[in-house]
Amino acid sequence: MTATQTLLFALLTPLASATLIAFFLRRRGALASYVSVAAAAAIFVFTVLAIRDMGDEGIVASWDWLTFGNFNVSMGFLFDGTSATMLTMVAFVGFLIHVFSLGYMADDGARARFFGGLSIFMFSMIGIILADNLIMIFIFWELVGFSSYMLIGHYLNTEEAAAASKKAFIVNRIGDLGFLVGIVYAYWHFGTTNLSEMQGIILANSGLISATIAALLACGFIGKSAQFPLHVWLPDAMAGPTPVSALIHAATMVAAGVYFLIRIEFLFPDSIKCAIAILGTSVAVYAGFSAYGQNDIKKILAYSTLSQLGYMAAAFGLGFPGIALFHLITHAFFKALLFLGAGSIIHGCHHEQDIFKMGGIFKKMPITSITFLIGVLALCGVYGLSGFFSKDAILIAAGLQGNVLFAMLTLGAFLTAGYMGRLVWIVFFGKPKSKAAEKAHESGFTMLLPLVVLAALSVVGGYMNLWPEQLGGIIRGSKDALHHLDGYDAMHHTVLILGSAACIVGLLGSFFFYGVGATEDRLEKKAGPVYGFLKARLWFDEIYGYYVAKIQQRFANLLSVLDIFVIKGIFVRGTAGVVGLLGLGSKSLHVGNIHGYVYWFLIGLIFFWGVASGLFKAF
Amino acid sequence: MEHDTNSFILLAAILVPLVTGVIALLGGRLNTSALRSISALGFGIPLIIGIYLFCNFDASLIGEYNFELRAPTGLESIGIYLHLGLNAISLPLFLLAGVVGLAAGLYAMNSKAERLNLYLALLLFMLGGLMGTFASVDVFFFYFFHEFALIPTFIMIGIWGGAGRRGAAIEMTIYLTVGALLSLLGLIALYVTSGVDSFSLLELRNYLSEQPLSETVQSNIFALLLFGFGILVSLFPFHSWAPKGYAVAPSGAAMLHAGVLKKFGLYGLLQIAYPLLPEGGEHWFSLIVWLALGNILFIGLVTIAQKDLKMMLGYSSVMHMGYAFLGLVTFSVVGVGGALLMMVAHGLSVALLFMLATCIYHRSQTFDMSAMGGLATKAPVLAAFFVAGTMASIGLPGFGNFWGEFTIFAALAETEHTRWLVAPAAIGIIISAIYGLRAVANIFFGQPKEVFVAQLESDTVVDLKLSEKVPALILIIALVITGLFPRLLSDNANSELANLYPVEDTLPHHEVMTLPSTTDAHKELTH
Repeated sequence: MTATQTLLFALLTPLASATLIAFFLRRRGALASYVSVAAAAAIFVFTVLAIRDMGDEGIVASWDWLTFGNFNVSMGFLFDGTSATMLTMVAFVGFLIHVFSLGYMADDGARARFFGGLSIFMFSMIGIILADNLIMIFIFWELVGFSSYMLIGHYLNTEEAAAASKKAFIVNRIGDLGFLVGIVYAYWHFGTTNLSEMQGIILANSGLISATIAALLACGFIGKSAQFPLHVWLPDAMAGPTPVSALIHAATMVAAGVYFLIRIEFLFPDSIKCAIAILGTSVAVYAGFSAYGQNDIKKILAYSTLSQLGYMAAAFGLGFPGIALFHLITHAFFKALLFLGAGSIIHGCHHEQDIFKMGGIFKKMPITSITFLIGVLALCGVYGLSGFFSKDAILIAAGLQGNVLFAMLTLGAFLTAGYMGRLVWIVFFGKPKSKAAEKAHESGFTMLLPLVVLAALSVVGGYMNLWPEQLGGIIRGSKDALHHLDGYDAMHHTVLILGSAACIVGLLGSFFFYGVGATEDRLEKKAGPVYGFLKARLWFDEIYGYYVAKIQQRFANLLSVLDIFVIKGIFVRGTAGVVGLLGLGSKSLHVGNIHGYVYWFLIGLIFFWGVASGLFKAF
Repeated sequence: MEHDTNSFILLAAILVPLVTGVIALLGGRLNTSALRSISALGFGIPLIIGIYLFCNFDASLIGEYNFELRAPTGLESIGIYLHLGLNAISLPLFLLAGVVGLAAGLYAMNSKAERLNLYLALLLFMLGGLMGTFASVDVFFFYFFHEFALIPTFIMIGIWGGAGRRGAAIEMTIYLTVGALLSLLGLIALYVTSGVDSFSLLELRNYLSEQPLSETVQSNIFALLLFGFGILVSLFPFHSWAPKGYAVAPSGAAMLHAGVLKKFGLYGLLQIAYPLLPEGGEHWFSLIVWLALGNILFIGLVTIAQKDLKMMLGYSSVMHMGYAFLGLVTFSVVGVGGALLMMVAHGLSVALLFMLATCIYHRSQTFDMSAMGGLATKAPVLAAFFVAGTMASIGLPGFGNFWGEFTIFAALAETEHTRWLVAPAAIGIIISAIYGLRAVANIFFGQPKEVFVAQLESDTVVDLKLSEKVPALILIIALVITGLFPRLLSDNANSELANLYPVEDTLPHHEVMTLPSTTDAHKELTH
């Protein structure tokens, strides 16, 4: 098997699994889940084989997909250090989440659809990772959007899931509009959308970098990675099953936006990068504040994801794509861990998601709790854990380039520790605050195993020396570049102190402010307006809701009325008049008898035939 | 002219549905199973022939036709022959007619329509006409077969149409009559002014490429063809017949008309009007652009406002025609190729959706989407198929429609004077997502609306039956094949279109610096 074939197998195995499930295993949920898990395992094996065989040149292959005139679309692989790193993470984390789902979804009536959806998702996600050109990225980009839609809507008889799935797809399409326009502009600008070729063209002539194209392409990132102002879909997407939130809406798909930026970094002029850095930083802080207004454990984690995606965007915008990728990978480990941990708790508490109805979970679910706490510490960037290394690097990069961004990102780190502390003190300690929490039980083996493995990765994942040599080339590159900047050592110390301080102040502060095992939100009680402001999240959902219901819908209704009365009124009568003038003057044309028209058709045709064949020449 | 067997096989694709149609019509006393077997032959054989001819298609005959057949008709004095044949542009549509015909036929055969034999006979006549339309090299027969297929549409709406069929049928008839007459006038004007004494498209094309008509004549004839064909394709603002007409049409007629027959107008513009009258196309460029944007944006928003499922589908089909027009106005191989893919894929998806709409109606007893909800729990396969159809129609990759839309967007960006159109046209992808997903959510997801609770609990609400699954699957599979392997259609069409449309080198040629190695590429840049 050649390396290219290995990659093809990695891509097509989940597609085969999804097809098999859709056509034959619809009513055999258990079997479907095993097929899907086996496919996920196979992906990981193929990934390892491909990395073994990739060599120094990577794996490059391409096939023609469609050609019309000068327009050519191909499907191809660009398997280099960056994509290998991403694929390894997706395959591994994906596999663990599949295993977790075996337990979590065991009682679900539509298990086959769920696991089929997971397979479709893996297929689409791997397509994005391997793609060697923008059009192929876009194709799989839309497909992950579809699988996300399908899985958010899994509990399809709830209004919440119905609305959230629709919202996710439509909001993503808004970003994709810019992405699409950017792609077709790029095609005629560069003469290709192949990543390596575009890079070669820009290396030869950097004057060809276009801010318009870069900004348009970045719209795709804004939609998929749920950045301002298209962030509204991600918290709602928590209506999906928790493993889906872990896989798609934390570890992989939402991070695909960042991955996409890293892949096309050479297309970006400094101005657009700077804008992305500001955007990411703002989202990091905004989402950090918003998390304080949430009581649903999954929504808190969702805002945390938004915030961390902001950090990745900031790293990219500051000119360190490798560090963005680094944070993407470590974040995938601890955020998948946190979501799966939340899933384990929700499962144990009989689908209770309100943190103020939990409490005392630590005693009831010790393994889940310990792994969850490890995830929290990694997310907060506690010294030595994986999140420390990547967040530290981002803060240093910011610190060396601008005070405002640095201050905001440090504030973000403090906020992170604060809202995670709030969650931890309320959920894990104190007394159970509901019947569900009292009856909480530790989850089974298939759910605990992924938690333990991910906890281990959250601890050691940041030590690059442990990574296989083929992975992370670009990360090492960016880290070296950062090390060689002036003032690195001094800034390193500053960040170490400030970061640790933010972490400690956040965790302890929330301990003193909210208290252990609180039954209600102290902020809400003591400072209602502040809490209300945080909960409102700058009223984005309200504004968009108003626009959709009151402006867009009314405008559409108005056009609909215009269409019926004006257009039909004018043109139908107008055309009817023309028909009359055509001199066919029979009354049957005016009585509206359907048979009349049919006869006129036939007579007309016969008449034409007669004229044409010279039948009437005698007259 | 030499005729080989394949020429007669091509003729059979037209004759078999006609003959089986006559048998079904006259054999009123046939028992149901005999009727079904006979009509199954009539519906199935054209597709089998289509696939057979597809496999035997000789792509090297650029500018000519495969499987040519030329028979006298008594009209030789003015150059009319029964002249059949297929080229790489008509072949995809010929196949489309076969696929949709089979799906519509299979669905109709198992429907509970009254006077089933008449219903099937009319569908078979329609199918025969459709196969003939796309197999005609002679412009007169191209038009004749279209009219031949159109008449059964009116009759079917008149007899089996839904509530309000009278008004809708009259409106549809007036529009389509005017459209057909205008295009007929255009075709006759083409014949007369060219002075070539032949209705053969080949001879017209050869003659006009050497002696093109004057610009004024071209733009006048083009106007006749544009508005004639445009009305037939529901070009804005001549579209109002379409949503209402389809809303009342019985499913078989809606599938074949919206899916296939409507493409006659686009096909006429693509194969006849633009290549023969290029200056006419240039003259009317701006008007077509604005009308096409009207289709996409105005009608798109109107689609959002619809509450009736069939009206929504009808309007969305009108909206998507705007893309095809935008593909044509680029007057480039890319754009026209995109329009061709769009026509085929849209035909499949709209037929699928109209059929599923009827399946939904049989379960819900209403087309009002605001009075449904929660149907997916009782009918998961129906929900899955409807989602597939919706996703296809809103351009999800994996289905053919995506290639059509994407290629058209690419074509618009190819030259400076159409580049600005990409963004407004692409807003359509958001609009279509809104109405498509809203429909899915309203019909299938969430809790049933109060008025729908009792209906949803009744025994009539079951999942798709085999007789509904098979035709739906035929269409879905065809959509997926065009989505995954567009080259099956595009490679040959590309060479043929390059013969009809100008090919200019619009790609920039930049110097490319070779990268040190792919793994180090990013690393190098960051240093």
